[in-house]
Amino acid sequence: MTSINEGRRRVRALLGALTALVAVVSVAALASAAEPPRSVIQRTIDEVLAILRDKGRSSDQRRKDLEAIARDRFDFMTMSKLVMATNWKKLSPDQQTEFVDQFTRFLANDYGARIDRYHQEDVQITGEQPEARGDHTVKTKIVGGDNDGAIVDYRLRQQEGGGNWLIIDVVIEGISLVANYRDQFREVANQGGPVVVIQKLKEKNANPSAPVPELEPPKKSESPKKS
Amino acid sequence: MGRALAAALLLMLLADTAAAQDPNGGGVQGVTTADSDPAGARSPWDPWERFNRKVFAFNEKVDHYALEPVATGWDYVVPHRVELCISNFFENLMLPTRFANDLLQLKPWKAYETLWRAVINTTVGIGGLFDPASSWDVYKSDEDFGQTLGYWGTPAGPYLVLPLLGPSSPRDTAGLIVDSIPYLYIPPYTLIPWYASFGGTAMNVVNRRALVLETIREERKSAFDWYSAVRSAYTQNRENRVHDQAAAPAKPGATPDEDLYDVDQ
Repeated sequence: MTSINEGRRRVRALLGALTALVAVVSVAALASAAEPPRSVIQRTIDEVLAILRDKGRSSDQRRKDLEAIARDRFDFMTMSKLVMATNWKKLSPDQQTEFVDQFTRFLANDYGARIDRYHQEDVQITGEQPEARGDHTVKTKIVGGDNDGAIVDYRLRQQEGGGNWLIIDVVIEGISLVANYRDQFREVANQGGPVVVIQKLKEKNANPSAPVPELEPPKKSESPKKS
Repeated sequence: MGRALAAALLLMLLADTAAAQDPNGGGVQGVTTADSDPAGARSPWDPWERFNRKVFAFNEKVDHYALEPVATGWDYVVPHRVELCISNFFENLMLPTRFANDLLQLKPWKAYETLWRAVINTTVGIGGLFDPASSWDVYKSDEDFGQTLGYWGTPAGPYLVLPLLGPSSPRDTAGLIVDSIPYLYIPPYTLIPWYASFGGTAMNVVNRRALVLETIREERKSAFDWYSAVRSAYTQNRENRVHDQAAAPAKPGATPDEDLYDVDQ
């Protein structure tokens, strides 16, 4: 009898060890898989709100911390290509590198400033959906404050080879950041070529809090933009 | 920031009916622009750009020299909470527009909500100064006749900047006119003497501008071409409203302008 009990105990111990092994392996597998988009956004929201709620931080420090989050979560390379659209290929590789660098600085700063002044008390994830090209949208809603109820959608794209999910667009109340800057950059490029966009980005980055730019004079050229 | 941009547009609508219009937009337009704009359908269709830019510059001057200074003074004197009350009050007066357009878009539930909201806010909210309805999850409708036309398939047409009224389109301009007609005939509104409605409108415009002073200043700062920034925001937001995309999640891949996200263009 004892030997039978002994045997059972061994089997149980073995099973236990196997179970533990399986658990360890699957946890490891999970860890190596990319963090899902929804969780990326949830983590971002938590970090942003923690910064905004921390009254101890100076306004400057807040902006810097928010910028750091943007640098970590946005796919600036993809965003650069999207906002430049057909003008992207008109830039030389060096100019492309420069563009990404300048646009990264601009966007990180712009994001930090926006979030900082976009008085929000809480942000809730309201849903998510797969999109074309394997993208994924996570929908959020601002709760409380002057912008109560505002809908903010984050579109994410996974880096190649099962890499991280990074944000490629922020759509607020239906207004896509990428579409908005793309339209502006196209206008700028139409007036002086795509290189002027880089130049304007540099000017803006050199003085992020520059006063209201001069009014655009009515355009002289007749033809509506072709391409 | 989205709401910020939307607000940016709002401010340009000097009219009392501002709430009845705002941003307009892309899906239907996308189809029409496909030829001239290979870069993507979310790009606004703007064949009248030269004219529009002139009107836009004029509106900006009016804002810069008249509206913004007055609104700044107003904002200095009037507490933020009171500004919000005033804003609520005028929004509450939009009931006929909202209710009619909810019905015209076959959204009886929304129409019922609109009505219920007006009842709550007019009574508990003391004549519409407060908005208890929203905290009871009876949310406001933003429907107008421009959206109703869009709902039934009317394309927005080219982007159009109206003098003083700001960003619009032929469809939304028509909507604006239709929306304002009932106010000339519905009893409680017809009792308001002309000088009171004139004064009320002016107050509403200044108050609205005051509420977005900082937003507009900041949005201008981060713009590279303010004209196209506003055009893009108006067009996109308007289309978004026509399709009530904020309320119901879109079907996967149903975004009208998937090319926007194509890196190889």
